[in-house]
Amino acid sequence: MKLRAKETLWFYLLVSPWLVGFIGLTLGPMLYSFYLGFTDWDLFNAPRWVGLDNFVRLFTQDRIFGKALLNTFYYAGLSIPLGLTASLAVAWLLNKPLAGMRIFRTLYYIPALVPAVATSLIFQRLLAPNSGLNQLLALVGIQGPAWLLDPLWVKPALVLMSLWGVGGGTVLLLAGMQGVPVEFYEAAAMDGANQTQMFFKITLPMLSPVLFFNLITGLIGAMQTFTQVYIMTGGGPNNASLMIVPYLFDNAFRFYHMGYASAIAWVLFVLILLLTLLVFRSSSAWVYYESEVKR
Amino acid sequence: MWRKLSKLDVITSYTILMSLGALLLAPFLLMISIALSSDETTVKMAFTLFPREFQFANFGRVFGPQYALQTFIGNSLVLCLLAVLGQVFVSSLVAYAFARLRAPGRDVLFVILLSTMMIPAEVTMIPQFDIFRRLGWINTLLPLIVPNFFGGAYNIFLMRQFIARIPMDLDEAAQIDGLSYPGIYARIILPLIRPVLVTVAIMTFSWNWGWFMGPLIYINDRARMPLALGVQMLSAVPGGQLPKYNIMMVGSLILIFPLILLYFFGQKYIYQVGIVSSGSSAVK
Repeated sequence: MKLRAKETLWFYLLVSPWLVGFIGLTLGPMLYSFYLGFTDWDLFNAPRWVGLDNFVRLFTQDRIFGKALLNTFYYAGLSIPLGLTASLAVAWLLNKPLAGMRIFRTLYYIPALVPAVATSLIFQRLLAPNSGLNQLLALVGIQGPAWLLDPLWVKPALVLMSLWGVGGGTVLLLAGMQGVPVEFYEAAAMDGANQTQMFFKITLPMLSPVLFFNLITGLIGAMQTFTQVYIMTGGGPNNASLMIVPYLFDNAFRFYHMGYASAIAWVLFVLILLLTLLVFRSSSAWVYYESEVKR
Repeated sequence: MWRKLSKLDVITSYTILMSLGALLLAPFLLMISIALSSDETTVKMAFTLFPREFQFANFGRVFGPQYALQTFIGNSLVLCLLAVLGQVFVSSLVAYAFARLRAPGRDVLFVILLSTMMIPAEVTMIPQFDIFRRLGWINTLLPLIVPNFFGGAYNIFLMRQFIARIPMDLDEAAQIDGLSYPGIYARIILPLIRPVLVTVAIMTFSWNWGWFMGPLIYINDRARMPLALGVQMLSAVPGGQLPKYNIMMVGSLILIFPLILLYFFGQKYIYQVGIVSSGSSAVK
């Protein structure tokens, strides 16, 4: 009994830093920001209660927010599937039993180490109308668009840039591929399966937990896109690349509309929660766990 | 290996690997080319993918009085090293408690810990800004450093998983020998979880080194900016002038270099942890 009490005491003592941080920096601020979403607050005067005004404005009057929302979905909807497919293809390539593969693996991973600030600065140059990518395209006779300056092409440009970091997603996939028992392939080969069939019937299902993980983290990350937009386009041209978090940032720290920004933050939170839940619900249909008994 | 590659397969594979690799390297090449460009070329924006000029002096200029990147670097080092200290020490202590000590409410707290990973930082950002403003911490590195000393949910989770794999017999034997809980943590657990400690240290360092939004929110004073923000600030030049792209690219290279270095040295630890935590059990 006495030992048990001592153990409990030690447990709470040791987790207390996290517990204090959770209450003071997460739970408290969350509740406060929820309250702020229903107020008008400029950071200096007391928050003024405005009821549902902020949310009504966000969804019925604020065209810019509507645009930011759609842009974010556009970006996430394009960059995530492309990123997953590309990382799968690259991992498959990097998994081949060839000499010098270690060097290729490292080389492909390096872009994923580059901080978003540096990526943004270099892609700003790379995507400038008369340089980098367009020079390359001109070599094959294609007249490239103005990318970041063209409302139509600015989002594809950001998607393209996200693909540079494809190596980040391949790490877990590669580990997963190497973990697939050789017997599976041997048995399939004996039954006369070809490479394509093996990939879709063995490799892909075995990798589905990793793909699921990458999908969830990719989704959460894409919904929170900020640095690229802030540095490269400032949301322009004509708000064509504005996304939720840059808009939130502007409202909070440029215009000091803290109440409105808090409302945006909660909309973002609920969106992420719903989308994650949706992916989780769908997972039983396509994610396969070895240890799980199929019902 | 279960499959033998045909000669054709080998050739196509290498061709694709090389061309894709060249594409992935191209941005670095342009970065280096711009970094080595003279000011005249920079003004004309006449950059080429392959360097034509070799102004290595640019790498010295950034440490001169005009740009003083060493100030940014110093700030970044203070931020990153303290963040690492906080995360490694506090997260491992909390992880040890979650992995080894039994207490009523522990499982509920662990579920709460896991669910906090779902909360986007934007939701707590504004109230946190208010808290730190009231504490008078605006324009200091404190709002960026101090939260690390409360541990990080992801790091705690990662470390707990790692500790849970260590045989409990070790703890029990140490207990019989009269070691207290902090003693077991320091003498038994810590030495055995070195790979995960190094991994968390590298991840924390890298994340803070490249962190842009936090410094952007809290720091206005150039002399107090970390490198990630400072490099971006180089583009803020008086109206009408073009930013010094060559200097910015030198700054970007300096921003990237330590992260690549860190990755090379820590690779084997990260790989070890990656296998443990990403092996089918933790991904679920």
